Amino acid sequence: MIAWQPAGEPSIPARQQPALALEYGRSRDAIDAELLRDTGLVTGLAPDSLVSPSQYLQQLSNTLRALDSPDTSFMLGQLLLPGHDGAASHALVQAPTLRVLLETLCRFHARLTPLLRPRFESWDGVVLVYWVDAFGAPGIKAALVEMHMTALVGLCRWLGGERLPWRFCFNRGAPRHVEQHHVHLGAELRFGCQLDAMLLPYSYLDRPWPRASELASRLAQQDAALEAVRVPGLLAALYDYLLENVRAGPTLERTASDFGVSPATFKRQLLRHHTHFQGELDQVRTHVALWLLQVQRADNEEVARYLGFHDAANFRRSFKRWTGVTPGPVRAAQI
Amino acid sequence: MTFAIRPILLVAGLLLSLVLLFAATGTILPLDQWNWMDIAGEGGTALLAAVWCLIVLNSRPDGRVTRLLAGGLACIMLGSWADCLDEAIDIDKRHLWDNALESLLPLGMLVLTVGLYYWRLEQALLSDHMRKRERLFRSHRPFDRITQLADAAYLREQLRLEIRRDDGAPCALVLFDIDGFHRINREHGHVEGDRVLQAVAHMLLLNLRNEDLLCRYAGDRFAVLMPGLEIDAAADAARHLCGMVSRMRHHAPGGPVAITLRHGCAPTGGAPDALLADLCRRMDAA
Repeated sequence: MIAWQPAGEPSIPARQQPALALEYGRSRDAIDAELLRDTGLVTGLAPDSLVSPSQYLQQLSNTLRALDSPDTSFMLGQLLLPGHDGAASHALVQAPTLRVLLETLCRFHARLTPLLRPRFESWDGVVLVYWVDAFGAPGIKAALVEMHMTALVGLCRWLGGERLPWRFCFNRGAPRHVEQHHVHLGAELRFGCQLDAMLLPYSYLDRPWPRASELASRLAQQDAALEAVRVPGLLAALYDYLLENVRAGPTLERTASDFGVSPATFKRQLLRHHTHFQGELDQVRTHVALWLLQVQRADNEEVARYLGFHDAANFRRSFKRWTGVTPGPVRAAQI
Repeated sequence: MTFAIRPILLVAGLLLSLVLLFAATGTILPLDQWNWMDIAGEGGTALLAAVWCLIVLNSRPDGRVTRLLAGGLACIMLGSWADCLDEAIDIDKRHLWDNALESLLPLGMLVLTVGLYYWRLEQALLSDHMRKRERLFRSHRPFDRITQLADAAYLREQLRLEIRRDDGAPCALVLFDIDGFHRINREHGHVEGDRVLQAVAHMLLLNLRNEDLLCRYAGDRFAVLMPGLEIDAAADAARHLCGMVSRMRHHAPGGPVAITLRHGCAPTGGAPDALLADLCRRMDAA
């Protein structure tokens, strides 16, 4: 059975990410009552308590509204990593290369970045990190993506001692102005893409970082692995599950039973995370199709066969429904 | 706007005590003798003056100008209120205090006028202080809260103006980044980072010509619009500015922090967004 964490249950230690966000809000002259409105959290946060992801999301959305400043999401991102999660954060800081850093981040994502789940792929010449919503936050998704991308960019810059030439893709329309993106992320920005991703030339992946120590890194990894596992959010777990089973045509009933609940309960849970099964499945199939089209240079016929469609026309129609564009131009656009 | 409770209580108390004073010493006229138009006019003036007084008290720091403006408005409020009560309550004309109260109205206007005169002087000083930050015209919204500089939206507006004017005069745009600013934020905290931004903003302002415009683009990136300068002259000015900042000494609680800038410049022209994106790309590569 697959372990997962619903958004409504307390799972994030208040002294970690929520405390950092609260402290930042205060430093920008916002008051606790405003920052914690409708979260059900007490003023000042009880440091030893747990906060549910939906409370933390509400807190972030309050903070964005209260500070009303275009740089809030980026500044919160700068504070996010390496974080204060003991061994997992320590393992991040000790990473001797970008590859180890990304592997560590993806392995302990439920602790380090509970709201968005990072996934990391690499193929000839390209490293790709993309972010998947773990608890369903449609309202502040764009801000969360900015926050997490800034966190990773900032951490790499700090540990590597140089600014890496990241390129960025955003699954949203172009904002009116991008000065904050320019300064906190970089100038290579593309909007209207099908996923929130950051790309880097492959050569940076294994370049040793200054003050890197293989031994210290291995010890830190061991320590982090000994600590209790934090379970990923429902949507993060579902994404992983669907990606693994995408060729088998996953159904709601089968998935619900693998997640250990009845189909009705599973449906209700997904609704509480502001989504539904078909939407999540379509997202995964979009990502797989993108990978096949842009990386494997597959044609519609091959993608259709891979994903179990009757024919290319069927796939083409579905892809148009998922993304609003046809596969042709997507295939032509280099990732 | 949130109002402090004390001035509200004070104003309400003054108005109420005047009502009590009138009620205690005079006789209430029968309702058919009340002149409702006068009551509405004078009472309305009094209440609006009370609101203006509260707005002044809440939106300005305490000081001579604030006291004169608020005092003048308070006098107008009391004078009109006494006028208004006179319509409903008959006071023996031998009582001098009633006349004195009504004369508060012209006195209040006089005090308000004096207050406005000093306010004008204060504005002149502030405008002088703000000149390099706002250039041609004032618009109140696009200001960065940390450095009190104009933001990127204002810069784009000015770039567009510069293109529209297009009188053949050269104009240059220079961007500045603080070297390793992310490290300052990480090692000293972002509150210290904010202080560094303020210090750099001051240093740049002190070394600019009157016609230059300094903006905070975003994060640690500043932009200076230099009208009338060819690209070479602008690059020279930019190097001078970098030199001045590098000689500055910033004292953090943990010891002195060395601050250096790097810069990139380009002649203005073309769409502001494309110009800025291009210059930002060059800053990243530098």
